[in-house]
Amino acid sequence: MGLVPYRARRLESVISICLLAVLFLIGVGVFIKQFDYNTNQYGIQQLGVSLISIGAGLVPTGFEMLSKVEVYNSENLYEKINGKAPLYIESGFKELSTQRFVNINDRSLWMELYTYDMGTVKNAFSVYSIQRRAGSEAFPPMQLGTPQSGNPFAYRTDNALYFVHGRYYIEIVGSSESGELFSAIAEVARKIQANLAAGLDASIAELAMFPQENLVPGSIKLYLVNAFGFEGLTNTFTAKYKSGNETVTAFLSKRADSKDAEVIAESYRSFLIENGAVIKNTTSKTIVGKVMDFYGTTEIVFTAGPFVAGIHEAENQQAAEKLAKILINKLNSLNNE
Amino acid sequence: MNEQNDKKLSRRQLLVSAGKTGISIAAAGAASYLLYDAKGPKAGVEYKEHVILKNFSVQHRPDQTMSIAKGSDRAETLNKAIKLLGGIERFVRPGETVAIKPNVAFASPPMLGATANPELVAEVVRLCYSRGKAKKVIVTDNPINDPASCFALSGIGKAASAAGAKVVLPKAKFFKHTTLAGGTLIKDWPILFEPFAKVDKVIGIAPVKNHHRAGASMTMKNWYGLLGGRRNIFHQDINTIIAELAMMVRPTLVILDGTEVMMTNGPTGGSISDLRRANTLIASTDCVAADSYGCSLLDMKVSDLPYLAKAEKAGVGTTDYESLKPILATVS
Repeated sequence: MGLVPYRARRLESVISICLLAVLFLIGVGVFIKQFDYNTNQYGIQQLGVSLISIGAGLVPTGFEMLSKVEVYNSENLYEKINGKAPLYIESGFKELSTQRFVNINDRSLWMELYTYDMGTVKNAFSVYSIQRRAGSEAFPPMQLGTPQSGNPFAYRTDNALYFVHGRYYIEIVGSSESGELFSAIAEVARKIQANLAAGLDASIAELAMFPQENLVPGSIKLYLVNAFGFEGLTNTFTAKYKSGNETVTAFLSKRADSKDAEVIAESYRSFLIENGAVIKNTTSKTIVGKVMDFYGTTEIVFTAGPFVAGIHEAENQQAAEKLAKILINKLNSLNNE
Repeated sequence: MNEQNDKKLSRRQLLVSAGKTGISIAAAGAASYLLYDAKGPKAGVEYKEHVILKNFSVQHRPDQTMSIAKGSDRAETLNKAIKLLGGIERFVRPGETVAIKPNVAFASPPMLGATANPELVAEVVRLCYSRGKAKKVIVTDNPINDPASCFALSGIGKAASAAGAKVVLPKAKFFKHTTLAGGTLIKDWPILFEPFAKVDKVIGIAPVKNHHRAGASMTMKNWYGLLGGRRNIFHQDINTIIAELAMMVRPTLVILDGTEVMMTNGPTGGSISDLRRANTLIASTDCVAADSYGCSLLDMKVSDLPYLAKAEKAGVGTTDYESLKPILATVS
């Protein structure tokens, strides 16, 4: 093999330098690219599945986007809402999309939109109802949420709006109590209602099963699991009723059939007794053996067809028994239809 | 081809080139040999570098363990509460470096009370500098989700910086693995360590909040922010992890802000209707005692928060805060 001529060696040097330069540029590229990775692979997506179809159309008048759409799944929901994540995950959570908007002229006015895809309207109603702020104002002007007589599934506080939109539970939280900001919040809500397909045909039949008389508006809650700390009580609705100066809580849970309802009711009564409840006397024949004293409060647990129902932690036994009878009659009438 | 191109290599040039090539190959081989890990990463987790947070507490004073100041102005109640414990000079000495760990868990406006109040954080920074004569004050937390936004939108970043503190956002290199002696959950787990590695004192600042999982979030739960990794797994045993965090972090002082208390929908809140004004601020060297008192602001009992009893059993502090004879004051 002959020795390499000088010119050829210089050419090799140039080529080597070029290759090294290319390698260096590749290294720089990798270094830069690592800060712009595909977050889809790590849970956080650049564009939310649920909001992507709406895009910039959600931005209210006079506002602009303050952040990109972020999407969280059940694996990383805690990164956004920390200790509240279990509440959603236990209620069928699928996905959360969030986005912030800020007022162009006053940067202190901003809002964050939380769109929780809960999979079903019932799941969405559950997290909505459990978190509903006591004494908050219903927000019927736009008839947001699932159409349901007397239950618009929407309420507002001074800085925020909360509503159910089909399978979505939506929170729009403002940075202040500004009227201008709330108008923009309402505008975003209207746009969501108009543009986000949500399967509004689904309804929640149990809501109509509670007697309407003396029912506290907006008080119905749905506990999908572990109602009253008892594992067996799933899919349990509670409602508050006015009784004089007191409030009494009624509950109902529809089971597979009347036999299943009996089993659950008996299990729940046993659970209460194991934890200190004692059977109380009652003059009402329909609930004999089903009224209990639980550390000074009254618990009543009965069945009506496929329903497990009753009264929870009532201060007044008389008021509890009165409401229990009304609830039994209502459920029996529904069972006979 | 010109004459130069036709020039042949001399023997000397050949030997020099061959020598350089040989040295390069040998150097690359040696480097590879030195860097080669014959064992490779082990299954599970085993790290060479384990750290332990040092004890930042100050000497115990039986009659100056806890103070409770009533009033609506956080700066005033803070100053009063700390003065009742002996002044900031008791906790911060001239020339020391102080780390402040506020709750910056969410990118949430200060009005909602989901994070530490920015003015309160700023006032603590100012006190450390003005009375404590601190050399340096840093403010840090690990919110996981977009720390920059959390510090910005909570107002804490701006307020702390304006007061002269250095805001330290968490970076991957700041996390080191630790194991808590006697712990069952904190084993070989990454924590935000570097910002605390070279400081002399640590002050925790937390609001009083309802917490969906833990029941309440106060000064002990505030240390959750030091955890790295997929810390959500600890939600399965929230009482143990909070107690272990209180065992792991021995702060100089904790400040529990109950000026406005998040009564419902915690820890995120979201509505000002979740808040109730209690106009109370607690300063204490005993975080168990501070949180035990904080229960009352949430209409809870000590027994409602099992982590308090666990921490007490571990010797972190006492749930019987009255035994500490807390010093009470009202700021008009």
